[in-house]
Amino acid sequence: MLRYIVKRIGLAIVTLFLLSLIVFALSQMLPANVARAVLGQFATQEAIDSLNHEIGADRPAVVQYLDYMRGFVQGDLGVSLASQTPVWSILEPALINSLKLAALAFVIVVPISIVGGIVAGLRSGTLGDRTITIFGLSMSAIPEFVTGIILILVFVIWLGWLPVTAQWDEGAGPLTQVKHLLLPSLCLALVLFGYIARITRAGVIEAVDADYTRTAYLKGLPTHTVIRRHVLRNALLPTIAVVATQISYLVGGLLIVEGLFNYQGIGLQVFLSAQQNDFTVLTSAVLVLGLVVLFVTLVADILYGLLNPRIRFGTAE
Amino acid sequence: MSSEGGSMDRETRRSLDDFRRDDATPIENNLIDELVEGQLDRAEFFRRGAMFGLSVGVMSSALAVVGEAGATPLGSFAPATETVKVGGTARVGVAKWGGSLEPFKLAEAGSLGMSGIPGEYLTYSDNNNQIRPWLAVSWKPNKAASVWTFRLRRGVRFHNGREMTADDVVANYKLYTGNKQSQALSIFEGILGPEGVIKKGKYTVEFRLKQPTGAFPYLVSQTSYQCIIYPRSIKPDQWVKGGMIGTGPFKLRNFTEKRQYNLVRHDQYWGGKPPLDGVRVTAYETSTAMALALRAGQLDIVSAVSRLEAQPFFSNKKFRILNLPTAAHRQFTMRADDPAFKDPRIRRAVALTINRPDVISGLLRGAATLGNDTPFWNRYPSSSGVAQRQRNVATARQLLAAAGAQNLSFTITTHRLQEIPDYAAAIQRYARDAGIDVKIELMSDAEYYGSSGNDYYATTPWINKPSTITEWGHRAVPNVYLTAAYASNGIWNAPHYKNAQLDAAIKSYLSAVDLTTQRKYSKQITTILQRDVPIVTAYHFTSVTPVAAKVRNFQLESINHLRLAKTWLA
Repeated sequence: MLRYIVKRIGLAIVTLFLLSLIVFALSQMLPANVARAVLGQFATQEAIDSLNHEIGADRPAVVQYLDYMRGFVQGDLGVSLASQTPVWSILEPALINSLKLAALAFVIVVPISIVGGIVAGLRSGTLGDRTITIFGLSMSAIPEFVTGIILILVFVIWLGWLPVTAQWDEGAGPLTQVKHLLLPSLCLALVLFGYIARITRAGVIEAVDADYTRTAYLKGLPTHTVIRRHVLRNALLPTIAVVATQISYLVGGLLIVEGLFNYQGIGLQVFLSAQQNDFTVLTSAVLVLGLVVLFVTLVADILYGLLNPRIRFGTAE
Repeated sequence: MSSEGGSMDRETRRSLDDFRRDDATPIENNLIDELVEGQLDRAEFFRRGAMFGLSVGVMSSALAVVGEAGATPLGSFAPATETVKVGGTARVGVAKWGGSLEPFKLAEAGSLGMSGIPGEYLTYSDNNNQIRPWLAVSWKPNKAASVWTFRLRRGVRFHNGREMTADDVVANYKLYTGNKQSQALSIFEGILGPEGVIKKGKYTVEFRLKQPTGAFPYLVSQTSYQCIIYPRSIKPDQWVKGGMIGTGPFKLRNFTEKRQYNLVRHDQYWGGKPPLDGVRVTAYETSTAMALALRAGQLDIVSAVSRLEAQPFFSNKKFRILNLPTAAHRQFTMRADDPAFKDPRIRRAVALTINRPDVISGLLRGAATLGNDTPFWNRYPSSSGVAQRQRNVATARQLLAAAGAQNLSFTITTHRLQEIPDYAAAIQRYARDAGIDVKIELMSDAEYYGSSGNDYYATTPWINKPSTITEWGHRAVPNVYLTAAYASNGIWNAPHYKNAQLDAAIKSYLSAVDLTTQRKYSKQITTILQRDVPIVTAYHFTSVTPVAAKVRNFQLESINHLRLAKTWLA
């Protein structure tokens, strides 16, 4: 396994480098100019040229990229072209915020979705199964923006139970932070529930119908043992893969939810830096997100291997 | 001062005559003549008198002489009608900004609203367009209105305890008029350069203008939102890092950049102790989130929400709705050098198809006043009262036929901002009645205001596409609209319209100091523009904003400023 992990880390480095090249190339196609984004559309060309020169944005793109990568490999992400503040001071709080929201959403949605999928799968064709499936499908179909507003109307404006924004005061304790994050997390949980539950349900149905399950029953094993030892271990394999892909969405793809709940996450930061063509922040944010995705994928693969002894890392079966 | 007997009348008249003979400048005498001849009503006399630095005593005397009893000027703040409750923190929501909070770079609603709390200006243009003393207590022009001398308020303390003096004002204005990145250059271009800002005494500053400008006191008011007065020791781009030191009623205590700013009362505020202990400003990514936070009781004041977002607050007793007519508008341009629009009859025909009352009632829910295809908003005192353009499809058809453009077809290019796409769709619908085929090209903000080459002004869509719709903010006087959008060499002349006669009229208008002359040239300008229609201005916005009912002594400002010095929470 160690060799497998080392190999994956090596691949990750190559992936991140390619990612930085892609982001750099794409940012050259963006219509925005960072000085224009800072000074506004009514700024004179002279003012724009002056600011571009001051921040180094008028240098050739390749020079800017090489300069950035030189700093990156030394652990220096540079400064934001738009605000002239260190990139890490912008990204760190945004990343922490996104991780907090992702963690809470994960803790809410994964257990509930898996349990829901298992129940639906084991009671396939019953009213319970249909209810869970239809509910999950409906929630997945509704955009999170709509779900979010409905949750705000119910829990904030009508009931007054929860705060409307996911922004707590400086120094707030963990429970206060959870209270502020509950609504956006619920919003995400409702969107993801259907997808994860359905994958779990399909896995459970397939595992229940498998020969090994029939054999286990025929051997005289009790139902709960069959379910636990044979059905779940096989049914959850695809679920792990799906959950891993959703984590990357939970961390970096929450632009709408972050905007609605006024939460300063990394999704909004990526959007803002793309709007401003703030190359240093944009590239750093994408690389950080790439690191998160690669790490999560690696963990998912390891977990997959632990659950499925047929998989051996880097060796033939 | 009121007339209460013959001796008082004679005395008042004698003192006024003495003033006019011995002390009044030609501008001041002209102003009093206009009042006597009935060309100015009381409100307008106060407005213009304040602009030219007439003292309250002289204005009151003049009004008393012409028989306007009980003439009293408005105070700097609205008088309190309830017992003011001291204490509490106002929670304010503003739109998040992408740019900078540095005064000379201010360019967005959220950033100027935020910076304008700790920062203040030399003068203040109120919601009646009257100019009032603020950090300057008085000002006087020379005869030609090409040199303005401002006397500063004494004893004004910055948040760091230092006194504001002429050195600070001079340093700031040299930056605003001289730094290449200053966003105030668009206001002062051709009017004032750094060499024209001169210290004349510890509390006296002289502005030597490049051209006579009768409305100069407006140009140093909060409507030139970059022109905040702060300590001269603070270098450019260091104001925020240095704690946003200003003279305002609240000073910065701490902040999380572009997220939340906590301000506390400035105990040495020159305008008297503010009732509020502090202000917490939160930047919101979307106006929807801000409106929801207000509705949930987590904000007391919001800087601006859309008319649609304000709708749920109308019948809710927990909130009050504030309305403020402004000069803010959308410019629907047609390039005069484009083959489709070369003939002015074509442009006039397009303008005649627009149903302006329908746009205001249907699209804006009544939150606007009629526009007349001129930068002269009907609330500007210098507006000339030219007849309001009405929809006339029959005349539009005739004009198109005369111009040989019966099959006119063009594309409006614009961006997704508030009601603009719907306005473009409305124009499309109206134009169809005259047989005009209008297509719509919608861009993102970045595309619309971006550029595809090195020369921004030659490639950016909002200035170069054949037909565009662009938003313009409020201005207390039309000067910037005229010089930037309508003048032949205007930097933002999107219709690429060039007219020497218009340029001459604009120049004459800008340098005119008396109302009669201003109105004469504004009429000329409007007549030319209504004939040639390079820009259609169908409406001017009325700001409609809800505030929590417990907020007292707060009024809307026309450019998103937040005036909180006397605000309190019930």
